[in-house]
Amino acid sequence: MRLVRRSKRRVASTSKRKVKPKKQPLPTRSIAVKTTSNPYLSLQSSTPLPSISVILSAQNEEDSIGAVLSEVSRLPIQEIIIVLNGCTDGTYGIARTYPLAKIIHYPDPIGHDVGRAIGAKMASSDILLFVDADIPITAQDLMPFVQAIHQGVDVALNDINPYLSTFDRRDDLSRCKEFLNRSLGRRDLTVNSLTAIPHALSRKAMETIGYTYLMVPPKAQAIAILKGLRVEVCTSVNVVERNKIRKTNVGQTNPVAELIIGDHLEAIREAMDICGSRLALTDNQRNHIAARRNRR
Amino acid sequence: MIVKRTRKRSSRRTVPRNTSTTPYLSVIIPVMNERRTIAKVIREAKKVHPNAEVIVIVNGSKDGTERIVRQQRVKMLSFDKPLGHDVGRSVGAEMAQGQVLLFIDGDMVISHRQLRPFVQAVAKGMDVALNDYSGPTHKRLVHGVVLSKYVLNIMLSRSDLKGSSMTAVPHAISRRALEVIQAQNLSIPPLAHAMAIEGGLQVEAVHAVNVGRMNPVRVRQHKDPLEKLIMGDHLETIDWLSQKLGARGGFSDFTRKREIVR
Repeated sequence: MRLVRRSKRRVASTSKRKVKPKKQPLPTRSIAVKTTSNPYLSLQSSTPLPSISVILSAQNEEDSIGAVLSEVSRLPIQEIIIVLNGCTDGTYGIARTYPLAKIIHYPDPIGHDVGRAIGAKMASSDILLFVDADIPITAQDLMPFVQAIHQGVDVALNDINPYLSTFDRRDDLSRCKEFLNRSLGRRDLTVNSLTAIPHALSRKAMETIGYTYLMVPPKAQAIAILKGLRVEVCTSVNVVERNKIRKTNVGQTNPVAELIIGDHLEAIREAMDICGSRLALTDNQRNHIAARRNRR
Repeated sequence: MIVKRTRKRSSRRTVPRNTSTTPYLSVIIPVMNERRTIAKVIREAKKVHPNAEVIVIVNGSKDGTERIVRQQRVKMLSFDKPLGHDVGRSVGAEMAQGQVLLFIDGDMVISHRQLRPFVQAVAKGMDVALNDYSGPTHKRLVHGVVLSKYVLNIMLSRSDLKGSSMTAVPHAISRRALEVIQAQNLSIPPLAHAMAIEGGLQVEAVHAVNVGRMNPVRVRQHKDPLEKLIMGDHLETIDWLSQKLGARGGFSDFTRKREIVR
C-alpha cells in the first residue's frame, strides 16, 4: 500500500504495479477555487469549523473523476483520499493534478467498499464524506451531508425515495435494504443505505463502527443503528439513474447484486449475534396473538 | 436459535372417521372461532378430491365452532387454547395420511375449483405448490409480511417466486416434502419454505388465489400484531439459513479483497 502525496511529482516505481499510469495533461476543465465565502458552501454554525475528508474509490474512471474532483474541491475540505485500484487508464494522471488529493494505489481491483474502508482508515478529519468516482455530484448537493454531520448526525444518508417507483417495480437490492432497516426498527429509513453514495460519517461513527466494517456497508449500517448512533437521511440527490451500466451490475443475476444480497445476510447475521435472532421484532406469544387476531 | 412453539395438549380429543382406506389427499384446516365459515370451508375441501380426508384442528374456540365441525364427517383435533394457524397446520400434518397435503384456513371459503390446481401440481410431481399471490405490492410502502416474503426468496436465490410463500394459503405439499421439512417445522412457515428450497425440493407458485381480498378486515388493520410475529419468523429463518450456509448465505464476495483492510 502506498500513500502518494500530490507534492511528489513522480511516484517511485513499484514492482507490484503492473501498469504505470501515463502522465496526463491537466484536465481542460478549470478547477474551481475553493471558497468558504460562497454562501452555499460555508457551514452555518458558531462552533469552530470541522475538518472534512472526502473519500473515493476509483477503478478506471478517467471519464468522470475530473468532474467529481472539481466539484468536491469547491467544498471547504482538508483532503481528498483517492483509493485507486485496478486502474489501467489515465485516472491517476487526472487525480494527481488536484492539490488536496492523497492517492493510495493498488494494482488490482479490491472492490469499492474495501477502497472506502481504506480511505476511511487514512482519513484524519472530523467529517468523512464518501462519494463515487463515476458520478459527479455538485458541491451544493454534497454540502447537506457535511452539514448534517456538523449538526450532530453520525451517519448521514442520501434519501433516494423520491426517485423510486412502487415496490413491485423495484429491484431485489432495494427490497433487501428496506428489510434490513425495518428489521432493526428503522422503518423510517425505508430503502436508504450506506451501500449507496453519497453518504457522510462523523469521526465518532467511524470509531464506533470500526473501519473494517465499512467493507460491508449494510453491516456498518446495522452496527450504527444498534449502537445508538444517529443515522438519518439528510437530502435527496438523484443517483439512481446515473449509475454506469457495466456488465457486472445488470441482469437478474449479476455478481454485484449477489455481493450486496450476501452483504445483507451478513448484516442480519451480525445484528443477530448482537441482539438475538428476532432483532427489533419482539417475540410475542403466538397464542396471545392468535387470541387477539380473533377478537371481534 | 429456532424455538419450536410449544403445543398445548390440553383436552385433546381425536374423532377419526372414515379411515377404512388410505386417503390420497389430506386437507388440513386450522380453525378458531370460525362458525360462520367453517361448514362451507369443509364442504369445499371435501370436493377437491374423491379420496380425501379432511382434518380440522379446532383450537381456542368458544363460539360453537367445535359443535359444527363435529357434525361433519371429518377428523377433528380439539384444543382449548389457541394455537395459531401455523401450529395447527403442523399438528394436522402429523396425523395426515395422504400422499398430498393441502393447507387452507378455516376463515376463508375458497371454491374447490380454486383448490384443485394445487393438488394437481403435486400429483404431477411438484413438491411444494404455492399460491401465486404476493400481496398488495403496487404501492410505495408495503406491509412487513410482503417485504419479508420477497426478501427471504431473494436470499434463497428464488426471487422468481416474488412474494409467494408457505406463509400463505392455499398451498399443497407432497409426502416427500413433508419428510424433508418435517411436520413440526410447519409451525414456522417461512422456515418450512426455506427448508423446502434448501432441501432441493421443487417449489413453484402454481395458481393465483387472491386471499388478500378474502381476509377479514381485522387482519388488514394498520396495526397488525401478526406483522411483527411473521417478520420475526422470517428473521429466524434467515438465522437458520446463515447457520447452515455461512454468514453470507452462500453468496460470494465478488472482487472484494478483505485481507487488504487491517
